[in-house]
Amino acid sequence: MQSVPHADETRGKSILHRIWYSIFRSPPLPVSELDRAQSVANNFFLHIHSAKVHERALRFKTTLGLGLMTFFTFIILVVTGILLMFYYVPTPEKAYDRMLDLRSAVFFGTFLRNMHRWSAHAMVLLALLHMMRVFLTGSHKSPREFNWVLGVFLLLLTLFMSFTGYLLPWDQLAYWAIVVGTAIAGYAPVVGDQVRFILLGDSQVGSEALLRFYVLHVAVLPTVLTLLIGWHFWRIRKDGGLARPREDLALAPAPAGTGSDNAPEDAPPEKEER
Amino acid sequence: MSQIEAPDYERLPVKPDKTYGLMCVVPTRSEAVNVQTEKQVLAWPDGLIRYVLLFLVLFMVLAVISLLFNAPLEEPANALHPPNPAKAPWYFLGLQEMVSYSAFWGGVGIPTMLVLLAIAAPYLESKPGGEGVWFHSSRSAANWIFLGIMGTLGLLTLIGTLFRGRNWDFVLPW
Ligand code: HEM
Repeated sequence: MQSVPHADETRGKSILHRIWYSIFRSPPLPVSELDRAQSVANNFFLHIHSAKVHERALRFKTTLGLGLMTFFTFIILVVTGILLMFYYVPTPEKAYDRMLDLRSAVFFGTFLRNMHRWSAHAMVLLALLHMMRVFLTGSHKSPREFNWVLGVFLLLLTLFMSFTGYLLPWDQLAYWAIVVGTAIAGYAPVVGDQVRFILLGDSQVGSEALLRFYVLHVAVLPTVLTLLIGWHFWRIRKDGGLARPREDLALAPAPAGTGSDNAPEDAPPEKEER
Repeated sequence: MSQIEAPDYERLPVKPDKTYGLMCVVPTRSEAVNVQTEKQVLAWPDGLIRYVLLFLVLFMVLAVISLLFNAPLEEPANALHPPNPAKAPWYFLGLQEMVSYSAFWGGVGIPTMLVLLAIAAPYLESKPGGEGVWFHSSRSAANWIFLGIMGTLGLLTLIGTLFRGRNWDFVLPW
């Protein structure tokens, strides 16, 4: 298709026109279906999305917007988290003072921390609700089994993300929640104590644990989570878009009076609650 | 979506198992290819506008919450003064509640089995049907099992969050 414009097409156009097309390859407000499809397919950030979607996928009732909202909270968390990193120091001596500074000395510091905190809670909740929506609509079934498995790992990562972040303020709430939480890891037979030691870098929650949780929280887990989310989205495309009933999968019967029925034999026209 | 004449199905039957190639590009608003039959809409603008709106609504809700409620910050961490009770974050309070009955089963055994069950679920439920439909009647058994597990976890989380006080004794939150 014509995604790469011939040099002739932009010759003689204004410099703004040429710059725009050098980046986007399609008009700013595309009108034809071709241009609209290409403005998605040609865009690095959008091309993970199919150029067309089934109208069912966009109905609110289908997804309740939950997967997207989980993703959006993650974006908000990355942005606010990076801003918080400019002020935070992961040592037992400094961490708590930095939380106080955030409140008193940093412009919008309280708001920044609140956004990060409440979005983190929201992300855990939304991921759980998204999982329930997927199951209760039977969207985990073949051929989407593996995307469900990716989802399970996304949920575990989300929980671990939130848990590692919980320690960072280094107040009583944070400290004892992590003491209690990591004690649970110690209940595993044989390896329990080793797992706990690797997690904490020590036999107790202290400066080593704070450093480990910090590195996991700001570098390791977000990177893995970003990769898995990309994989999750790509699988949606490869699995043929969002799950939908069989009668919407194949081509629907031709309009009455045309004399041909194109519904495939193996899909009896189910009349189900939609 | 603009109104387009139906293709002549008599002369050009649409076969579900056939693949189609791009034969030509017509410089109009839209092409009359399978518009009626496939019910597909464009990601740009139909999808993206909805996504952006959803983001704005979510952002505003979180911003209002963040303006109204401050994130908690207690006294500095002190390893010598454990609070009673010490509680994990809310999403682990179901686990903590189970741990109070049995350390191994509550903290490790049951959670591991639940994760394995979750991973196995789509392979166990292999009979096709009911995809993309809320509470499809052919899947009611699977849905009830799922809701039973989630409901139990939710209940344990609720008990751990609201009904546990000093020494993990049962208390009423009011
Ligand atoms: C970080 C967490 C997650 C993010 C950001 C995310 C994002 C998304 C998005 C945006 C969609 C598109 C449909 C929708 O909006 O509902 C989706 C679909 C899907 N998700 Fe997730 N998800 C996450 C976690 C999970 C979890 C925990 C599961 C299940 C265990 C899961 C399983 C699926 C499946 C199977 C689909 C396809 C659904 C369908 O075809 O209708 N995801 N996800």
